[in-house]
Amino acid sequence: MAKDVEAVPGEGFQTRDYQDPPPAPFIDGAELKKWSFYRAVIAEFVATLLFLYITVLTVIGYKIQSDTDAGGVDCGGVGILGIAWAFGGMIFILVYCTAGISGGHINPAVTFGLFLARKVSLPRALLYIIAQCLGAICGVGFVKAFQSSYYTRYGGGANSLADGYSTGTGLAAEIIGTFVLVYTVFSATDPKRSARDSHVPVLAPLPIGFAVFMVHLATIPITGTGINPARSFGAAVIYNKSKPWDDHWIFWVGPFIGAAIAAFYHQFVLRASGSKSLGSFRSAANV
Amino acid sequence: MTKDELTEEESLSGKDYLDPPPVKTFEVRELKKWSFYRAVIAEFIATLLFLYVTVLTVIGFKSQTDINAGGGACASVGLLGISWAFGGMIFILVYCTAGISGGHINPAVTFGLFLASKVSLVRAVSYMVAQCLGATCGVGLVKVFQSTYYNRYGGGANMLSDGYNVGVGVGAEIIGTFVLVYTVFSATDPKRNARDSHIPVLAPLPIGFSVFMVHLATIPITGTGINPARSFGAAVIYNNQKAWDDQWIFWVGPFVGAAIAAFYHQFVLRAGAMKAYGSVRSQLHELHA
Repeated sequence: MAKDVEAVPGEGFQTRDYQDPPPAPFIDGAELKKWSFYRAVIAEFVATLLFLYITVLTVIGYKIQSDTDAGGVDCGGVGILGIAWAFGGMIFILVYCTAGISGGHINPAVTFGLFLARKVSLPRALLYIIAQCLGAICGVGFVKAFQSSYYTRYGGGANSLADGYSTGTGLAAEIIGTFVLVYTVFSATDPKRSARDSHVPVLAPLPIGFAVFMVHLATIPITGTGINPARSFGAAVIYNKSKPWDDHWIFWVGPFIGAAIAAFYHQFVLRASGSKSLGSFRSAANV
Repeated sequence: MTKDELTEEESLSGKDYLDPPPVKTFEVRELKKWSFYRAVIAEFIATLLFLYVTVLTVIGFKSQTDINAGGGACASVGLLGISWAFGGMIFILVYCTAGISGGHINPAVTFGLFLASKVSLVRAVSYMVAQCLGATCGVGLVKVFQSTYYNRYGGGANMLSDGYNVGVGVGAEIIGTFVLVYTVFSATDPKRNARDSHIPVLAPLPIGFSVFMVHLATIPITGTGINPARSFGAAVIYNNQKAWDDQWIFWVGPFVGAAIAAFYHQFVLRAGAMKAYGSVRSQLHELHA
């Protein structure tokens, strides 16, 4: 008994140079009174606005310049590779800029995953998601305001299932794509990993941006790649056609399921929280 | 009073970074130091190289894709390659000159930092002049290398594309420059450096990426200015009526975008206004006591 009690804490202290932050309270009334909370919400709004503005503008620009029936040319525009870069690159920049302010989510699925992992409170999660959706609508609104006829003619940058793919395929693509993204977010923000990297989180935004870039390379042909419900929502609202709305549920259900799986995988498999819980039960029984 | 003091002490002990004091607008002592002139020279050289590589890429792309002159539609680096040229060069040059001049390479960035009291008026004006001269020389080199191609393929000049009105052009330049200058502010924020263990090693990468991103989005609209020196240099050497007619878009848009970014970062994200309000209230409290 004495041996067990003494040994374990000592071992723990010697081998660990990081500290897991305590779970975020479900509802934290104190944070609602601080400016840093509202600043974070504003930052999420502005970041998502810029994200949608740049990316949808890139999509429409590409379609204009590669439309051979309207004066465009083959290989005109930045190409689908350029579109993927626009999405991944903007996430890199914006996560970099807002990481210290709001955590740099810019994506309701990321917010949802972090909420499930107890890293953000419920009010914060809800307000982030609302700010992200509003920012997305405004961002796409700018694109439409700048080139209304082009915008409408070339599909408005909206996500919908491409011809030849079933609903199940679209859903699965969104689930796996969002899993890749949220899993990368969890890895990039893991305090244990920060300790291993000498506590320098400077590179965290880069793999997150690359995860978005990679998934876009893979799934643009299937769904135009959502993996971000705010992105899909903003484009659907401004474009306001039947098909994007018919398919819209795919872009909320898929990402949220993918985020949940990523949260479970990281928290219970990789960080072995489950085993630790079992261990503490056994210890209690022993006493 | 005692409580306030504790609060202030607490606040001080909680910070491991120091915001540098605002630079005096009319600071002139720096004119006597070599580091000032070295910085101006660095901005000149950096902007020269920036324009040389980017405009040469643009002209090369257009000559190789000119079907009427033996080119092929898919024969060159494409607009993606052009965007990389702009973003990649900014990354390299900011990396090289960050420690010497702050790596602005862009009058809009200089203007934004001036508004945030991070550079003096004299330095800001000198940088802008050096950047414009460097841009002119850079494009001049491109013209010297291939005068015929240069004139035939638009000289790399920024102009509003057909199908877009002036308001859209200005709007695109404003938002594009906001993205760039906002990224610059975030990358150079001392609070952020503290959080990153004071290692700013990767600051140039997101700045380069932001230029790359904006080019992907707005090349179809204006050829993407977001850098008045870049637009100015190309307009001077190309010396075409339309380039000059549209030139004002590429100064007004970027400067407005930079101003908005400066305001957003200083007063919303860093809560300068809230702190000012707090200090005023503190003074009132003192008076009351």
